[in-house]
Amino acid sequence: MSPASTPQRATIVDGDRVTMVAPIGAPDAETLHLSPEDLTRATGWSLRPEGLCRGDVCFPVRDRAAIVHDDAISLRGVADVLGRPLAYEPEPPVAVLGEAPQTVGASLASGRAPNFALPDLDGGTIELDDYAGRKRMLFAWSSW
Amino acid sequence: MYEEFDPGQLVILAVALDEDVDAVRQWAREEPPVPLTYPVLIDRDHLLAELYDIVNVPTTIWIDEEGRIVRPRSIAPADDTFKDFTQIDSSIHNDALRAWVREGTLPLDDTEVRSRLHTPSADAQRARAERRLGMHLVRSGHRDAGERHLTTALELAPGDWAIHRGSMPVRGKDPFGQDFMDFYEVWEAAGRPDYES
Repeated sequence: MSPASTPQRATIVDGDRVTMVAPIGAPDAETLHLSPEDLTRATGWSLRPEGLCRGDVCFPVRDRAAIVHDDAISLRGVADVLGRPLAYEPEPPVAVLGEAPQTVGASLASGRAPNFALPDLDGGTIELDDYAGRKRMLFAWSSW
Repeated sequence: MYEEFDPGQLVILAVALDEDVDAVRQWAREEPPVPLTYPVLIDRDHLLAELYDIVNVPTTIWIDEEGRIVRPRSIAPADDTFKDFTQIDSSIHNDALRAWVREGTLPLDDTEVRSRLHTPSADAQRARAERRLGMHLVRSGHRDAGERHLTTALELAPGDWAIHRGSMPVRGKDPFGQDFMDFYEVWEAAGRPDYES
């Protein structure tokens, strides 16, 4: 079986979402390309005439040719429009979309504690909001 | 520490920024950082670190009944065992905690809270993404690629202990030994960045 006939799978990590997609074409050193459907599946963002949108929020795309060609969307192009860092390895293709600094900053500047859901030691999931209405202290620690 | 509070007054969520569930379980059993009546959560991907801009441990964030952050991330040693290194008096945090829980005394005024809620730098955010990528690759058997991305993360965030010290076990270095001391000296010479108490 030649390498070309083995379908490649790329992993896209976005927060707590991990999605496998079939990249379009060969991933290069800078980016991988994916279909509009896979972009939405992996990140929640869609490329529309008005720009890159999620829910009611749209980022204008000034240079459309830089991020999409023949329905193949560059993940790095998307990250750049959104102002988000992209950590990317072409082999095997894995991409981690981080949060934009402004997103983290604005969330904290609101003064409201962002919710999260994490596993406990018994295999359950605990959310910060499970304890709404009580004083809480997050205690971040480690074994290192 | 923290045994004087009951969950009715204060819920402590102990979140381990750790790879290894077994290591966390053992640590929680042998040297529990907080009484075991509280949930112990595992944050392998450092999601909490990104949400709350955490760069070191032990870090606490205080949240009131309405979900407001009343004390942004600060280093909170449980005691003064490492005071020579931390240069932080643990009783300041703990006395303030007692006053807040018992009497509702706010530890910081609004201006101080706002000034401590930072927007991380672009490099800091890139570093977090590179760390996460590096760990994913190491975990899935791509060690060389993983270490390259971890190295990038280290270079982008020289003051982030969660990245530097946190990745030492995976990089074959000792977070409690000379490798850590080497990092500590560089960090200290840089002016101890990002180490609020």
